[in-house]
Order: sequence, then C-alpha cells, then structure tokens
Amino acid sequence: MIDQDKIILMTRLASYEKNEGKKNEAIGRYFRSDYIGWQVLKSIVSGTICFLIVAAGYVVYDFENFMLDIYKIDLLEYAQSILKKYVIFVGIYAVITYIVFTFKYAGARKKLKTYAHNLNKLSREYNNVE
Amino acid sequence: MTSLVMARQMIKRFYSKYEAFVLPIIKFLIGLICLLIINGRLGYMSQLNSFVIVLMVALMCSFMPLNFTVFVAAVFVLGHMYKLSLECLLVVGALFMILFLLYFRFSPNDTIAVLLTPICFIMKIPYIMPIAAGLLGGPTSAVSVGCGVVVYYVLEALIGGAGSINSLADEEMTTRLKFVIDTVLSNKPMLAFVFAFGITILIVYGVRRLRVYYAWFIAIGVGVLADIVLLLIFDLIFDTHVSGGSMILGSFVAILVGIVLQFLFFHVDYERTEKLQFEDDEYYYYVKAIPKVTVSNTQKKVKKINSSRKKPAPRED
Repeated sequence: MIDQDKIILMTRLASYEKNEGKKNEAIGRYFRSDYIGWQVLKSIVSGTICFLIVAAGYVVYDFENFMLDIYKIDLLEYAQSILKKYVIFVGIYAVITYIVFTFKYAGARKKLKTYAHNLNKLSREYNNVE
Repeated sequence: MTSLVMARQMIKRFYSKYEAFVLPIIKFLIGLICLLIINGRLGYMSQLNSFVIVLMVALMCSFMPLNFTVFVAAVFVLGHMYKLSLECLLVVGALFMILFLLYFRFSPNDTIAVLLTPICFIMKIPYIMPIAAGLLGGPTSAVSVGCGVVVYYVLEALIGGAGSINSLADEEMTTRLKFVIDTVLSNKPMLAFVFAFGITILIVYGVRRLRVYYAWFIAIGVGVLADIVLLLIFDLIFDTHVSGGSMILGSFVAILVGIVLQFLFFHVDYERTEKLQFEDDEYYYYVKAIPKVTVSNTQKKVKKINSSRKKPAPRED
C-alpha cells in the first residue's frame, strides 16, 4: 500500500537534491573558515583585476599628462598612493565578500541539516515498516 | 477573486505538467526579445542583424542556462561596438569585464534581473525592477539590477555619441578613447538610478521579510515611495532632470506589478491565521501559521443519460 507521507517526504528530498542540494553539498564539504577564506581569496583576485582595468583606463584617459608628468613626479610617492587606493578598494571588497559568504555558508548548513533530518525521518519510517 | 485563484492554480498545474516544454520556450522568448532589442537599438554590425542568426542563437539559448543568454547578449553588444569603433569595444569590454567579476561573485542566479533591467528601461517602465527584485530576490539583487542600469545607460550614451565618435575618425586613438570614456562617465542619471534602485531593493527586501501582517503590501508601498524620494534626492545631487510624469506613471505600474507578484507568489489569508504551541524533548514551539489562499477544483461529473438504455431487439418479421 502507498504511504502518502513517505512519498511526500521522498519527493521533497529528491527535489532538494535536484535543485539546491548539489550546491549546498559542495559548500557543506568545506569548513567554515576554509570556505569563506577561499571566497575572499577569489574576491581579492577579482578585485585586483578590476583595479588594474580601471587603473589602465585612467592612464590611457590621461595619457598625455601622464607622460609629461612622469619625469616630474616622485615615483615612490605616486606608487604609494596607488597602493593605498588598491588596499582600500580590495579591502572593502573583501569585507563585503566575507559578510555575504558568511550568510551563504550559514544558510547552506541550515538547509543541509534539515535535509539530514528528513533523511533520518525517512529511514525511521522504513525501519518501522520492517 | 475565486476565479483568479483558480486561474493561478491552473497555470501552476500547467507549468508543472509541461515544465520540460514551457521553460525552454520562456528562455527562447527572453533570448529572442533581448537580441532583437540589442539589434534594434545598436545594429551597427549587419552580420548580427540577420534574423536567421538571431533565431538560431535564441534557439541555442532555450536549451542552455540563463547565464548563457547574458553571455550571448554581451557578445552581440561587443560585436556592434567593434563595428562602431575599436575604442567603444575597449571601453564596453572593460566595463563588462568589471561587471562580470563583481556580479558573478555575489549573485550568479539573478541573471534575469540583468537582462530585464535594460529591457524595462527601453519599455519606459524601469520602476518595476526594484520592486520586483526586492519582492522575489535577495539583497544581492541590488548588484544585478545595478549592473543592468549601468549597461543600459552606457549603451545609450554611446548610441547618442555615435555621430561624434565617427567624426573623430582622423584623430589619435587616445583622443577618441578619452572622448568615449568622457561620454560614459558624464552619465549622471546612471549613478542616480544605480543608487536609488539599489537602496530601494534593500528596503523592499527588508520590509517584506518583517514578521508583520500584509508585509508584501507594505513593502510595495514603502518601496515605491522610497524609490520616488531617493530619485528626487539624487536628482538634486546629480542634476539629472528625471521626468516627474514618467516617474509617477512608472511607479503606478510598479505597484500593479507588485500586487500581481504578491498574488502569484505570496497570496495568504491573514484572517485564518493560527497560533499554535507545542513541544518536543528539546524545545517549546510557538508557531504562527498563515494559510495560503487556494480553491478546491470543481468536480466535473459527466452524467451518461443513454448509457443504460438497452438497444431495441431486432424485429423478426
């Protein structure tokens, strides 16, 4: 005889596995610090590429003045000011990444916990039948 | 109202039954509309304007994830920009690269918002985007809608400046590049809309998640008001001259769209709210359950009138 509750539970589990499950499982394999650290590292690389694109655009935009001033300016001071801007930009970006992915990790763990709870429930129901 | 609820249930049933066909058709239509609009607005590269190519690419989009449609749309835009001038290609390419790196880090599932925002701007109803994204998406939708706003305004600025860019054909490359960057950066309405829409999405999302009755309706109202106020403030700051009439009309459409979304995705009956209390070994539970509005299907009974009637026996002559 068909057990309706069991079928509902199994459908729910299968739907979760098909949609969000894979992604959350991948997140759940990491320790919290490892996952967030990896995401922050990726953001630092992305942020660096973005900064380089913007910096290149700025140099090309003001190319004539840049070439005229390059012999007059204190290069060390100029490099320091660029480095400061880079650190601020990438720092803010990394902090935002940390916050966003902390929430994402917590959400994924919570859903995995519910999934495991439902699996146990299903397993108990099978044991009861036997 | 009952018939509306029944219609909604029918649509849901139809979608779940024919999902394998409906989803590709929706993706195909999104791809087709998006590419036709790009070709209609830009259309500098004649090879890409061919309807056969658009149709083939849209068909490809129908069997791929939505992110592929965004990729294809970006390739089409870059193709048209290349035909306009190499400098436009460089600037738009760099912009896409930055948006790609920022956007895909946080909200890779909000592709639809990036595609729909420029389309809504072209259709003169951009005000529905922050309300819809706040109701259906998350806080990171602000990034997706922001990307859409930036793409729209940059392309519009370059379309507007196309004549001037072509007239600088004899100038040096750096001069042309400077002109293109100036055209893009002098786009103040873009900043106003990015900030206003971003903040509005966060407000709508925050309010609709509140544990209060009619949270979605409150979120729609607060969102529309916040959007208008923010746009007026940024209008003063950036001196953007946003049209008041279109803002009010657009906000009215946004309210209507918000109500439709509420009906489709969060139609509950607050009057039948139940407050329950129970316990297990570890916790006490205080639960507030609000039932969804549903209508049971009317059972159709087919009454066979002649089924039991016996055939007359053949006459024996």
